[in-house]
Amino acid sequence: MKRHSPLLFTCRDMSHLLSDGMDRTLPFHTRLRMRLHLLICVLCRRYKQQLALIRNVLRKNGTTLIDDTRANAPGLAPEAKARIQRALDSRRS
Amino acid sequence: MAERTLIDSRAMIDAHGDFLYRFALARVGHQDVAEDLVQETFLAALQGTYRESGPAAERRWMIGIMKHKVVDYFRKQSKEPIQHPDAPDGQSTEEDFLADGHWKPNAAAMQAWPEQPDGLVERRQFWDTLAGCMERLPPRAAQVFTLRELDGLDTENICALLQLTLTNFSVILHRARKQLRDCLADRYFGLPQEGGEL
Repeated sequence: MKRHSPLLFTCRDMSHLLSDGMDRTLPFHTRLRMRLHLLICVLCRRYKQQLALIRNVLRKNGTTLIDDTRANAPGLAPEAKARIQRALDSRRS
Repeated sequence: MAERTLIDSRAMIDAHGDFLYRFALARVGHQDVAEDLVQETFLAALQGTYRESGPAAERRWMIGIMKHKVVDYFRKQSKEPIQHPDAPDGQSTEEDFLADGHWKPNAAAMQAWPEQPDGLVERRQFWDTLAGCMERLPPRAAQVFTLRELDGLDTENICALLQLTLTNFSVILHRARKQLRDCLADRYFGLPQEGGEL
């Protein structure tokens, strides 16, 4: 794609619209113009696929993230654990 | 089906504390709030009777309680709305574009990603990288992204819970997705990967 055209979105527009399209249904004419852009723009096609990939892996296996196996994964501080345990034990009796 | 009441607070904290803390932190963005929510979740768990057995079922049950606690927290918060997306941190999403709106030729290495999602989910290195990339998101972006993509809440719901305008919601998610994409391109797909040939 070389030049601005009133018919075509720019790649910058597309980067916003592709994200919006994942959260709500865009107007028909907008989707049509996006499709036109995607037909001729490999980078935006790629961008779209990559956003979709991130969504799909998270939707399918998101809890893997919280299982977090990294050594420096965030966790409860020891003081917080002790405080929570005191609170729990004082509530039971 | 066995019925039992969870009574051992120590074992409960050891088994689920870190997990629930990370779950809450990703959604509320403040450590102290996340700690409080973990405590509230455990308190509710101690009062409830839980009917399934096994650690996985126990965890699902706790996540269910935590989800309610997180939503309650947002409801209470919504009196003081934060309308602004995180301030741009210098790494603007616009710098990958030329003046005429096209991708720069080297925009965050726009190379194709080789793998299919089914292969990726098996790879620990991928998840570790993704977790690291999500930690680097600004707090509000991480929060909205998590509610949307991990919890699957819809747009209307999230805007109402967080008192966001649709415009802010859209800007925040666009930035979050782009930053994650760029981070993965940089730190995972751009590197030689574990397991040799793909």
